[in-house]
Amino acid sequence: MSDERLEELAALHVLGALTPAEQSEFDAALGRDPELRVLVAGLLAARDAVAGAVPPVTPSPALKQRILAELDARRPKVVPLPVRPAAGNFPGIWLSWALTAAAMLLCGILYQARNDLQEQVRGQAERIEALNQMADALRSETNTLRQTVAALRETTKLADVRIALLSSLLNDSPKAVAVSLWDNQRQSGVFVVQNLKPLPADRDYQLWVLDPQNPAPVSAGVFQVDPQGNVRIQFKPDKKILTAGKFAVTLEPKGGLPAPTLKNLVLLGG
Amino acid sequence: MGGNQNQPVPDPDVELLRSISAGDRHAFARFYEQYCKLLFSIAFRILNDQKEAEDVLQEVFLQIWDKAGSYNPVLGRPGSWAVTLTRNKAIDYIRAHERRSRLLENASTEMFVSTPGSPTAHESVPGRGDAELISSAVAELPADQRKAIEMAFFSGLTQHEISETLKEPLGTIKARIRRGMLKLRDRLEGVV
Repeated sequence: MSDERLEELAALHVLGALTPAEQSEFDAALGRDPELRVLVAGLLAARDAVAGAVPPVTPSPALKQRILAELDARRPKVVPLPVRPAAGNFPGIWLSWALTAAAMLLCGILYQARNDLQEQVRGQAERIEALNQMADALRSETNTLRQTVAALRETTKLADVRIALLSSLLNDSPKAVAVSLWDNQRQSGVFVVQNLKPLPADRDYQLWVLDPQNPAPVSAGVFQVDPQGNVRIQFKPDKKILTAGKFAVTLEPKGGLPAPTLKNLVLLGG
Repeated sequence: MGGNQNQPVPDPDVELLRSISAGDRHAFARFYEQYCKLLFSIAFRILNDQKEAEDVLQEVFLQIWDKAGSYNPVLGRPGSWAVTLTRNKAIDYIRAHERRSRLLENASTEMFVSTPGSPTAHESVPGRGDAELISSAVAELPADQRKAIEMAFFSGLTQHEISETLKEPLGTIKARIRRGMLKLRDRLEGVV
């Protein structure tokens, strides 16, 4: 095989793009050629460079807990071996053997149980640590938003703008937050969302303005978030708002509904 | 004197895998923290769906827990091995759900490699001070070579499918991939 052909196969190999026949041919060559292994190592570094040059995206903190819980669920259980009853002409000897075996078995079970307990304690400690980290992150994000809101409130330019901070009501998206800036005079606002779960194509988030002088919540339009869960929209409610008391977001079918589905409340605040 | 100076420095990731294979959950948690963001970013790029990417990442880490003992350095350094597992699981996921159209759709998307200076998933790996250099090396590849490489890796298309999608002869595609990968390897020599 020529060097060029080997290089071609090696490049396609690290990218996972060889045909099954080519892969067999290449694996055989890789087994017998140390220089080829050096080439593959270099190309793997190049492949990793391509793989990691994507925009960074963070998995949810709950994922680690899910994985650790799965490991807990898979941990093999200790099954005690059956002990045969003593028999024969030497009951004393059999009895002592049986007692010894039982004692050894008991030691084994206790040792395994101790290890299991230690593992469980370690697992719990890891989970508590992860939850603490998540709580710290949430506190930090909320504080940042509160500071932003406070700073905005102090700006005289925005004296007529109503600013509301909305918090998540979802267990699976506790980090979701939003800020609504409402200009009553212009009857329009800007709504900024962070960390909300992206939706399938047949669903929309719907924004509502709760006006104490209006018997029903007033729709302010539907929106979707980007893959990172963020969006910034300008909104204008369907009816005139006298006082914007609170703002809410619900999960609705595509295009939204005339009245909110209260069981699908996602964000609320005022 | 200095008898240990020429001994190779043990790869801490290999040590982690060794501990994981012995059932050490702390080592597993450390390996997770080190690579979760990089691997998740790759899975997300391939699947473009948060939940599916998390499902794939869960399978990958469970596989790492199960197979750490059979890790073979010929498959690359532990990080490379994990990248391979992630990419293959994500592509398998799409194929298993009969979403070939998504592979083609991925292939048709514009190149997404960050421009120099913007953040990349490399930066999420602790101790990777060379992230910017690595990302620049990728971004500076000729566009046709980069496109062919990315289509092979992220879209899981066969060489023939890439050739059809790009409307270029198969030989041209293979040559682009080969030249691009060798160029990148040379640029990264001494960096990683």
